[in-house]
Amino acid sequence: MKLFQFVHQYNYPWSQVSAANWQKYPNEKCPHVLHVDVLNRAVDPVTGVLTTERLIAVQQNAPAIIMKLIGGSSTQFVREISVIDPRQKKLTMKSINLTMSHLISCEETVTYQEDPTDASRTVFTQSAAITAGSTLSRMANYIEDVSVKRFQQNAAVGRQGFQMVLERFAVMAEGSTSASSDTA
Amino acid sequence: MSSSIGANCTELKARYDSCFNKWYSEKFLKGSTETECEDLLKEYKACVMTIIKEKQIDKLLAEARKESPFPSSSSTSS
Repeated sequence: MKLFQFVHQYNYPWSQVSAANWQKYPNEKCPHVLHVDVLNRAVDPVTGVLTTERLIAVQQNAPAIIMKLIGGSSTQFVREISVIDPRQKKLTMKSINLTMSHLISCEETVTYQEDPTDASRTVFTQSAAITAGSTLSRMANYIEDVSVKRFQQNAAVGRQGFQMVLERFAVMAEGSTSASSDTA
Repeated sequence: MSSSIGANCTELKARYDSCFNKWYSEKFLKGSTETECEDLLKEYKACVMTIIKEKQIDKLLAEARKESPFPSSSSTSS
């Protein structure tokens, strides 16, 4: 198993970041994300926590040699569970690949939380555990290394993409605020 | 907005997403726990579930749910 960890800060308040997160795709930096669907969604009336189950279809960009070896299809499916606690101002997303999971599993956890020292900022953490299954045991180490590298590259473009979405979202939010204060 | 796995579900998704996004920013983040887009979600979800069965992703999902169930047994579903 190989681990990947990353911490980053966004200069936007948590409410905006968490709302923009629902509109992250499509963005031009992440063309590999093909479809996003909500499967289940529920609010806990006691805690106020919103839980969402989504299915995400991604275009696999694993190196051709690996795809050839394992005979995988180019479209892969990921299940994501997100938990949003509006009182703690924390969003936690966990995702795991549904397809090819017997060969390799990638369990990712992402959190967005209000910066305790500055409410105008949001702290982002990302971690992933990548494990190649026993079918690939002889090459597991190599495949895990390649996969972590891919994950790092994808994570970086993912952040760039989200940064763009956030910028657009902030402009929209500003527009609607000034529009509503104009009419008020 | 991202498209749905089912091309014919994308319009239903768009309607649901726009309802949800509005609710999220205007109600949920302000403390409301009452959902508002249930009917749209129901319709959209029914469409997606058909495609998921066709593509046989339903079995993979069922496996994944065994390990980590969607925690909605007591709360208002979907």
